[in-house]
This record gives sequence, structure tokens and C-alpha cells, in this order.
Amino acid sequence: MRVVAMKLKNSVVLSAAALLLAIAGCGGGGGGGGGGTTITPTPPVLLTKAAAYQLLNQATFGATDADAAHLISLGDNTTSASIWLDEQFAKPASTQLAYVQAAYPNPVPPGFNIGTLNTQRVDIWFQNSLKGQDQLRQRVAWALSNIMVISQNSALVNTPYALADYYDMLARDAFGNFRTLMQDVTLHVGMGLYLNMLGNHKPDTARFIRPDENYARELMQLFTVGLVQLNVDGSNQLVNGQPVPTFDQSVVEGFANVYTGWSYAGATSFAAARGNLVNQVQPMQAYPEQHSTLTKKVLSYPGAASTTIPADQTPAQDLRDALDNIFNHPTVGPFISKQLIQKLVTSNPSPAYVQRVAEKFNNDGSGVRGNLTAVIRAILLDSEARNAPSSATSGKAKEPLLRLTQLWRAYGAKAASGKFMPASAGGPTATFGEGPLLAPSVFNFFSPSFAPPGEISDQNLIAPELQLSTEYLNTLVTNFFWVQAVARTTAQTGLGADVIFIDTTAETALAADSEALVNKVADKLLAGQISATLKAQTKTQIELSPATTAAATRVADAIYLIAASPEFALQR
Amino acid sequence: MDRNRRRFLQAAAAGGVVYAFGRTPGTVYAQMAGTGGFPDYKALVCVFLFGGNDSWNMVIPRTPAEYDAYAASRGGAAPTGLAVPLGTELPIDPIGTTGAPFGLHPSLAELAALFQAQHAAIVPNVGPLITPTSLAQYAAGSVALPPQLFSHNDQQDQWHTLKGRNQSKSGWAGRIADVLASQLPNQQLATNVSLAGNTLFQASDTVSPYVMGASGATTFTGFATSGTGLARKQAVDAISGANYGTVYERGIAAVQKRAIQFADSINTAIMGAPALTTVFPANNVLATQLQTVAKLIAVRDRLSMSRQVFFVSVGGYDTHTNLLTDQPGLLSSVSRAMAAFYNATVELGVANMVTAFTQSDFGRTLTSNGQGADHAWGGIQFVVGGAVQGQKFYGTMPNPRVRATLAADGADDVGGGRFIPTTSSDQYAATLAKWFGVNDANLPTVAPSIGNFAVKNLGILG
Repeated sequence: MRVVAMKLKNSVVLSAAALLLAIAGCGGGGGGGGGGTTITPTPPVLLTKAAAYQLLNQATFGATDADAAHLISLGDNTTSASIWLDEQFAKPASTQLAYVQAAYPNPVPPGFNIGTLNTQRVDIWFQNSLKGQDQLRQRVAWALSNIMVISQNSALVNTPYALADYYDMLARDAFGNFRTLMQDVTLHVGMGLYLNMLGNHKPDTARFIRPDENYARELMQLFTVGLVQLNVDGSNQLVNGQPVPTFDQSVVEGFANVYTGWSYAGATSFAAARGNLVNQVQPMQAYPEQHSTLTKKVLSYPGAASTTIPADQTPAQDLRDALDNIFNHPTVGPFISKQLIQKLVTSNPSPAYVQRVAEKFNNDGSGVRGNLTAVIRAILLDSEARNAPSSATSGKAKEPLLRLTQLWRAYGAKAASGKFMPASAGGPTATFGEGPLLAPSVFNFFSPSFAPPGEISDQNLIAPELQLSTEYLNTLVTNFFWVQAVARTTAQTGLGADVIFIDTTAETALAADSEALVNKVADKLLAGQISATLKAQTKTQIELSPATTAAATRVADAIYLIAASPEFALQR
Repeated sequence: MDRNRRRFLQAAAAGGVVYAFGRTPGTVYAQMAGTGGFPDYKALVCVFLFGGNDSWNMVIPRTPAEYDAYAASRGGAAPTGLAVPLGTELPIDPIGTTGAPFGLHPSLAELAALFQAQHAAIVPNVGPLITPTSLAQYAAGSVALPPQLFSHNDQQDQWHTLKGRNQSKSGWAGRIADVLASQLPNQQLATNVSLAGNTLFQASDTVSPYVMGASGATTFTGFATSGTGLARKQAVDAISGANYGTVYERGIAAVQKRAIQFADSINTAIMGAPALTTVFPANNVLATQLQTVAKLIAVRDRLSMSRQVFFVSVGGYDTHTNLLTDQPGLLSSVSRAMAAFYNATVELGVANMVTAFTQSDFGRTLTSNGQGADHAWGGIQFVVGGAVQGQKFYGTMPNPRVRATLAADGADDVGGGRFIPTTSSDQYAATLAKWFGVNDANLPTVAPSIGNFAVKNLGILG
């Protein structure tokens, strides 16, 4: 905190001083005073709005005029991004749980279904994502929630507190250590219920009953180490031209035995443990009577402390050894670093970029492995993230839901009730193909390796978000933007209390001037970087409606055509 | 596919469109007859059960010794263990099987009736293989195996692509569309249509699949046929057709352009479909999709379609836990949906032209984890349609004994009741592709490992 304040102060002072010198220099027109050398100091080069939008679209739920102005004001084009990150790292987490708990009715009406509280859970997710000051933390939590997946589309529909608390845990741990995150994810009741570690018991050989393998497999395959061994630059290690598996079935079975004997906290025995509103937000508790006492096979790799966990340890000792074993696997750094790069910055990072970040994961500079603050800083300050886009593969496709949040943030979207409950039965998923903790399975809304057929696939590139860009979903998103622009704005009256509307006051004032209107929208949504085609098409469309009688349609067309355009769907 | 071949197919497809322009489908069929065009209509409908269906509870042995072995392997009969209690199964009488009679899970009443009426067949213990594989070969590592066995997404991809150890960018339905492209010059819609999102199964080198919603395509709210609404449509179309600097924009623009191109024609066609009297079950994800497929089949001539592959899917089959509470609903929904769809094809007079078939990530372990079963390999699939030579098993049910119990038994069990498939996904796909019209020379393009198997056609379809 102190360092942040110092940097901030210094940069402001320096900027002010430079400004004064510049003014003095300009003012020295006439008299021939002094005869000394004229001082012509270089004014600080500020971050451009385009560069500010680039960072803010990587690190928040959508760039806005106000955030860009703030970011630019923090320093010059060499310092402001770093100062902004320091500000963000220091922000406490916005949370969901208390809001969801407060929605629990009192008195409880007959037939109350606790699953309905997920409406408030999604509502508070939107509130935090759109308006939270901790934008970077929330954006990283969103990324983590799409890697370490749990979902309401499961038995968890009836544990909305566990879902809300799981997301809060991701936000709390987003800037901590990855090993802590692994521990907290593993012992969370939400994950315990989703991937069945909760209630998993020791083998019963007489009945051929084995421990459940679900969490054992997916913690490794999806959350930490992946299926194949990676080089530090994220590329596959190859032996005889083939990738090398990180584990086999016997290792899955070893970890399955590790994750036995855990259930809801607070009971006298494993058999007696039951879930309730209190313990669904407490870490799971070990019940040794159902813990497997066998020797367990774990991951084998150069430098592994051991490839087995000895028999007869306590559940907590086994868990510590098992998670340490995974955490220290050399593939974890590139596996997690590359996924975070792909979710924040670009689908197709260079191997060198992945390596620079993975090396920070492996050692933050002070000998600490898994420091996520260092990893996120390395991702966002890397030249590949900060340089202006330069190639056909720079950047990424925005997730459909992030197209919505950027539009809403740029246009101050809100409802009279203050709530965010998108008006469709499936919540955001029905239209945008995704939503908070709403995935169809642990494989999430789209595959991290998806490549649409055609040039992307042919060139061995990927564009994971485009798995959601189907003819069907893309049309629904486009239609949502039309309805938003034409029927849910400050220009309409009589909107329902929960209808989310956008503030088009500034655009309405410019409606008569098609050039100024297009420029205004392009400035808000694209930092002014609008293509000639999009601008010309939008202007032509605007001009079909008379300014005198159809100003609202002119504004709607401007916002719609730009929000629905491929260039707005690109994260530069 | 190599690039020259792809260019050839693209040229053929593009040329065909020009050639067929303005002609009625009938005229084109007549003209195409000499070059291999199809005079008839056929559709394949893939019903994908995401998560790995626990199919060992779908088909149950009924003789006491076999049932007891099955039940013991599953930790006992429900509710103690996972096995379907003897006496609750729906008896079936497969033609030509010797030895143990079988029954279906009590929630599969509709599929049992279709089976007995010879409109459904069962393919036991089918799954991804590169070459026939014995337990000894598996243990010795002496044959090539599909990579990452027992992993959801890898085994889904293997089912979708049949590409074995090679990285796969196209699915076998996508490759069917490729090899048939020159024979389908005037179809107004992609050969591959998904009602369940983008799927590798339909990814193709030449023809993009078309993805619509479970209830049909969606029109653009802001568009109209005249005035500013028409201009708006033209503006979005022009913006989608512009040149873009990044692959991501180009990818989105292409989808947007296709959506504009097809939304009106498909919805117009569907709205002109005759009303079906067949009742589809409500609140059934698969039934909703299959009802839309039936509507699309009903308007096949309006869209000049002669070959179509549809993809529908439903999730929830990853039953590590709660198997006993979840499985009845899961199986009932697929049984009722597939039966309603079959009835709709009868009503439309196309039952012999439409074949629906199931796929799933993998079969699950025969053994229990206490609450459910875990990821495994081979599993049981159903094929339904008027062209199916039904009431038969095509392949061999595994010995329902866990290897650890009886060393001489469980010959296909690699441990815990994970069965090595005795029929390969390539054989399953090649059988369907052959019926669909893929010639023998092109079968290895569709099913790359088919050459490793003596039986290229399981004979399911007449």
C-alpha cells in the first residue's frame, strides 16, 4: 500500500512539474533575456485511450471512459499500467454470500425452494462484476471459475450458499498462492458435492467397492497439471513424437484413496454428517474411520519428493502430501499460466510469453512458487499484452458474456430496482451461452483448445470462445443488443423495475449529427478505433431515420451496429 | 485431408452450386444420376449422452449364474449395490443369441418395445480402438491404444473423430459431408446440422456445419423485409462481409453471415412443415431437439436436402454418485424421446430413411464406488430406425465378472470392470456411413482404423 501511494504521488508531482516547465518554455517568446540555454523538457507521453482500453478489456469486465481516464491519469505510458495493477491488487474482494443469505425469506413461505436463491446469486455476480471496484480480482475469479469448475446445474442447485461462497473463495484467493487455492478448492463443500469427494469412503474389497475417482482425476486433468507433460513454454514434451502422459489410471486410483473420509463439518461421525446452511460454507472435515489407510501412488516426476504416500497417515497428512505432490509438478506452471493468459489476453500466446509467465509461477523472484499476484502481473505487463496488436492472431475473441458486460459498463446499465436479473428463464446462459457457475459440466462452456474449422484450425491456432459463436447463439446475442438499444434505454419511459436499461443521454444529444453520433459510440465502445466499413455502414443506416421524428432509432442503430460488430467482439 | 484434395472438393462444391442454380431438385437428381448424385433421402441422427452412460444397467443378464455375477460385481442389487434387481427388468428376446437371455432396465419400456418390434438393435461393448485388442496385448502394451483412455473429453473426441492417436480436426460426420460433397451440390443447408452447439463430430474441412437452437433457428429481431429494417439487415450483412485483420473477427463474421443467410429460409421452411400428430414428451431436452429434427426432415424437399446428419445431445450421465436416483430419469428420457422420434418418422413416411443412434463418452466401471461408477471404456449403444434389422445384438456382451474375482473370467476387464471394447467405434461408424451412401473407397476417410478390423460392416442396417 505504501509503495503504491508513493508511486502515485511521485508520478503526479512529476507530471505537474513537467507541465509547468512546458508552459514556461512556450511563454518565453519575446525578450532576449538571460542568454542561457533554453530548457525544452520532454512532456510525459501519456497512455493513449486505445492502449488504456486494451488493458482494461484484459483486466476488467469492460473498459469505460471513466476507467480509461483514471488509468491514463496515474502516470505516463511506461508507468500507469503498473500503478493501476498495484491499485487493483490492494482492493478487497467484493463478495456474494452475505447478499444471498440476506435473501433467505423470513418467515419461510410454505413450499419455499432454496434453489430460487440462485437468482440473487446471479444478481450479485452482475453487481460485483459490473460495479465492483475490485475489477481485476473479479475478472481473475471469473477466469478461475472457468478452470476450477463447479456448477449450479447439478445437486448444487440446492446449495446456493455453497456456490456463492465458492466464488467468494476464488476472489479471495485470486491474488494469493496457488497451493492455497488448491487446498481451499479441494476442501470446499461446493467442490466436494460437485466432484464427489464429499462422502467418498475407503474401499470395501468384499463388495469390489473402490473410492470414487472423480475428483482425483479432474483435479489433475483440468485444474492443475493436465494430461500431458509440458515444457516450460507450454509446448508438449514429446517422446518418439508422442506426448507423454502426466499420470495413468493407477495414479488416479492412488489419489482417489487420498480423498476418502471427508464430509460436512461438525458431525460426530462420517455416517452422521449432514449438510445444512451453516456447514455448506465451511471446509469439509475429515472422519478417519472412512479414510483409506492404504499406501497411495501419486505423480512421478523429476524432483518429486516421493512417488507414494505411506500407509496409515491421517486424512490431513495424506491431503497435504498429495496436494504438495501435484503442486510441485513442473507442468503446473505452464499449464495454469497458459490458461490464464488465454482467458485474459490472447488465445495464441507465443511460447516465449508462456515461458516468461510460467517462470514467474515457478519462482516469483524471491523463491516463492505459485505466487498468483506475480503471475497476473507478469501476464498483464508482458510486452505481448501491452504492445499494440500487430498480427492476425493478437488478442482473442471476447467471451459472449463479456461483450454484454462491456456494453453495460460503458453505458452505465442499471434497473430501477438496482438488481441485475436478465429477463430470461435460463439466466444469462440462455442467450450468452455462459453464466456464473452455470456450466453444463466440469468441462465448462467451451473447450480451452477449441478451434473452429477453417483458417484457425488449418493454421493450428485456437479460438476457444468461438465455440459459443454458433449461428444460433450469435443471433441471440445480436438480438439482445438490438432490444437493449431500441427498447431499454433512458429514452424509454414506463420500464419495469427490473428492466436493465442503458444511459443514452449523450448519444441522444448528438442524434441529429450522424458523424458525431457514430464517433461517440465508437469512442465509448472501441476507444475510437472503428473501421471505415463499420463507420460508413452505421452512418448510412442512421441517416435513414429522420432526426426530428426518430432520434431514438438513430441512437439505437448506432449502438446496435457497433455492439453487434465483429470488431466489438474482438478483444484487442 | 491434403490441401489439393480439399481444393478439389471446394471447386466441385462451388461448381455444383452454379450448375444447379435455378433447377428444381428433381431435375438435379436426374442430372446427377450419372455422376453419383442421390435419388433418395437419408438421415443419420446422433444422440450423444454426455458424461458416460452407465450402460451396464441397460442390458441385464437374466440366467441366475450370469445375473449373480453381474450383481456381485456391482456391489449387490439395488438399493444395497448398483445392480438392477432381478425381476424388475423388461425381458427381451434377441434373435440368434445363445445362452443367457437378457432384460432391459425398467426405465427403457419404449426402447424395449422397439427392440421387440425389430426397429431397434443393441451394440454391446463398443468403444474406441485402433486395432483389435486383447487383455494380454493391453497388459503388454503391444498394440496401439487410443490416448488418454478413461478421460471424458479425450474419449468424446475419439468417438467424434475416430482419429486414434492422431490429433483430430475433423469429425467422422464432417468427413462424411466432405466425401459426399460432390454428390450433394444443391443442398440449401449444410449436410451437418447441430441442435446442440458446436461439436467436433461435425467439424469438416470443406463445409461448415450449421448450428441451430433446440427449437429451430432464430430470426433477427431488428430485421424486416422493407424499409429501415431491411436496410439494417443489409448493413449487418455488409459489416459481416468486410475484411478483418484478425482470425477472431473473421471467425465471428463468418458465423454472423451464415446466420443471416439461413435464418429466414430455415424458419420459413419449418413454419411450412405439416403439423405432426406424434406427441413428443414434454420437459425432455432430447425430445425437444428430436422434434425439431423431425420438422426439418419434413421440409427436406423445400431445402433440397438428400443427405443430412443431425447432432442432438443431453448431459447428466456422469453418474459417479446418485446412480440409483438419477439413472431411471436419464434412461426414461432417452427412451421416450427416441421412441417419439421413431414414431414421427413413421408418420412422415421416412422411417426406412432415418437412422438414429446413440453415442456416449464411455461405458462406466462395472464395479461400484459406493454411490455410482467411474470412467471406463466400452459401453452399450442403441440403433433405432426402420432400416435397422432389429431385435438383435451386434457384438458380444462382456462377461459380467470382475477380473480380480475369478482369474479365468472377465477376459475383457482391464481392472475394476473396465471392459476393452470388442467392437470398435470405427466399425460402428463405418456401418452407419456405408448405409448413408459412403462408398468402400471412402470408408477409411470416415473411419481411419477400419482397415484393421476384419468386419467392416456390422450388418445392422438393411
